[in-house]
Amino acid sequence: MQRSALGLRVPMGMHDLLPDEMALLEHLERQTLDLFSRWAYRRIQTPALEYAACVQPDVDREDQLYKFFDRQGRILALRPEFTPSIARLVSTRLRASQPPLRLCYGADVFRNSTPHFREFRQVGVELVGSAEIIADAEVVALAIKSLEQLDIKDFQFNLGHMGIFAGLMRDLALPPGLREGIEEKLARKDMVGIESLVLQNDLPERTQDILLKLPHLHGGEEILDEVLGWSEDSGIRAATEGLRQVYRYLRDFGVQRPVALDLGILRGFSYYTGVIFEGYVPGVGFPVAEGGRYDSLYADFGYNQPATGFAIHLGSLLGLFPVWESGEADILVFGRDVPKVIRRCLELRGQGKRVEMALGPVTRTEAGNLAEKKGIALVEKV
Amino acid sequence: MKAGEQIEGLRREKDVKRNLLTIALPKGKLLPESLALLSGVGLDCDEVREDSRKLLFEIPEGEAQVIICRPTDIPTYVEYGAADVGFVGKDTLLEENKDVAELLDLRYGFCRFVVAMPAGKTPPRLADGGYDLSVLNHQRVATKFPRVAQTFFSDLGMQVTPIKLHGNIELAPRVGLAEMIVDIVSTGATLRQNKLAEVAPILEATTRMVANRVSLRMKYERIQNLADALREQVQRGTAARLSDLPGGKGERV
Repeated sequence: MQRSALGLRVPMGMHDLLPDEMALLEHLERQTLDLFSRWAYRRIQTPALEYAACVQPDVDREDQLYKFFDRQGRILALRPEFTPSIARLVSTRLRASQPPLRLCYGADVFRNSTPHFREFRQVGVELVGSAEIIADAEVVALAIKSLEQLDIKDFQFNLGHMGIFAGLMRDLALPPGLREGIEEKLARKDMVGIESLVLQNDLPERTQDILLKLPHLHGGEEILDEVLGWSEDSGIRAATEGLRQVYRYLRDFGVQRPVALDLGILRGFSYYTGVIFEGYVPGVGFPVAEGGRYDSLYADFGYNQPATGFAIHLGSLLGLFPVWESGEADILVFGRDVPKVIRRCLELRGQGKRVEMALGPVTRTEAGNLAEKKGIALVEKV
Repeated sequence: MKAGEQIEGLRREKDVKRNLLTIALPKGKLLPESLALLSGVGLDCDEVREDSRKLLFEIPEGEAQVIICRPTDIPTYVEYGAADVGFVGKDTLLEENKDVAELLDLRYGFCRFVVAMPAGKTPPRLADGGYDLSVLNHQRVATKFPRVAQTFFSDLGMQVTPIKLHGNIELAPRVGLAEMIVDIVSTGATLRQNKLAEVAPILEATTRMVANRVSLRMKYERIQNLADALREQVQRGTAARLSDLPGGKGERV
């Protein structure tokens, strides 16, 4: 049937990838998955289509999902990320495995919200079954190594801890509702909103100072000492010292240089409970890597396990690299005797060459022109 | 792959730009005060003019460049990181609902969002002196700000139909396109001229300094220094300006 105008378009946020773009994406993905494999992470796959009850049970947050109904009327959703799917998988099918489990993935996720990328490739890891600080450090270090081995320069990682914010909110004994207000505004980076909330609420001066300072607190270990001066709370102390230890281990991994400690990173309405981090690259307006510890998510799936992980938004990195000009083939084979041409092509392919077979009878000049236009370096007549 | 050289070239270009701060300013009524503020903190904006054809102005000694954009586009430039920081009205920020960090209330460009309707058709009064908006259910609201209007009425549990217009909102109720309007007012003169009466305040807005989330991390010192200098400048200027403002600062969202 003749296609209408709609039939020639792709939906908003969806992208075709042409051969050169695909070659680049595959290369980046392969490099990263190979690195994950050297760190003993094993690749898995989960379905693109899950029950919404698995990927996002919170109905207020469902608006980013692509949703469908199955024949029984249950709600299905395209995965917007991998972490809940992997929690489901581990909780149902890998309980017998010896923890810690190291799993990785590389596939597309779907979000019906951002205008630009609605389907994009993510690569990431999950480290399940360890609450040790070194597990956090391993995951952060691997995220940094991932960008480093792709030869991306000038990237930066910021490292924070959900427990410090949660502990301070507890310790400062804020009036009801204020914590939620500040959390929401901090997640949206609405500093003006935080300021006006803090000033409206007639808080003690020390509380005001801390709340106004927290979103801006970033740097090296000295900021942790400052936090320790604010409170005796054991939860805050544990979180702060945990973060310090992760930061120090990063030096042992040789990846501390691009890292800043940052207590202003906080993701609202998320499953993160401990160390969290974001990776930034100049020229990309949003974080290209996100991750952290989420120790309560697995309990939601009936299998109480600590876990940490990260995902890299591979699609957003494509624009950082020049067009990949790998050419279509290494050699063009032509000739009048078709069976001989076929045999020669198979022989060269057996040697690992990328071989293009001329289709139909062509002259030497035609073959030469064809090879030049297609960027094929060699031409062989049989 | 011959791409190695290209990558190197790209990188050198990026190194040069690494420290460059791109500032997006809104054309129109907020521009003069925006330029004055920036000049006040040492970024010489004498060359920046709205009436020239140029849209991009370099300020080499400040390692900065200024771009002039439509006010409603500023959140987009900043969200994508094409501009590191921008000056934009809170009204636009709420309507565009983009993912940007809001750093500072610059306190100029004060305006209020209100619901207004023809003076003869206002709803009955409530005991507290306000209008009983619930009788306005299922009516049409003409506005440049459908998101703000929708959110306000939805929060009251009401269902209204926003009609998006791009200008001369006051006309809509006079010719029956809508029963009421949601618009920004600064003095109220336009409302009175069109025989419209304010029936409910929605929120107050001033100009804000916003920043891209990643720029705020990667160029933290530069952006925060600029924000601190601007804050000082604004606080110094506030006393002088307070007399012009019909209200104070602060917002009701």
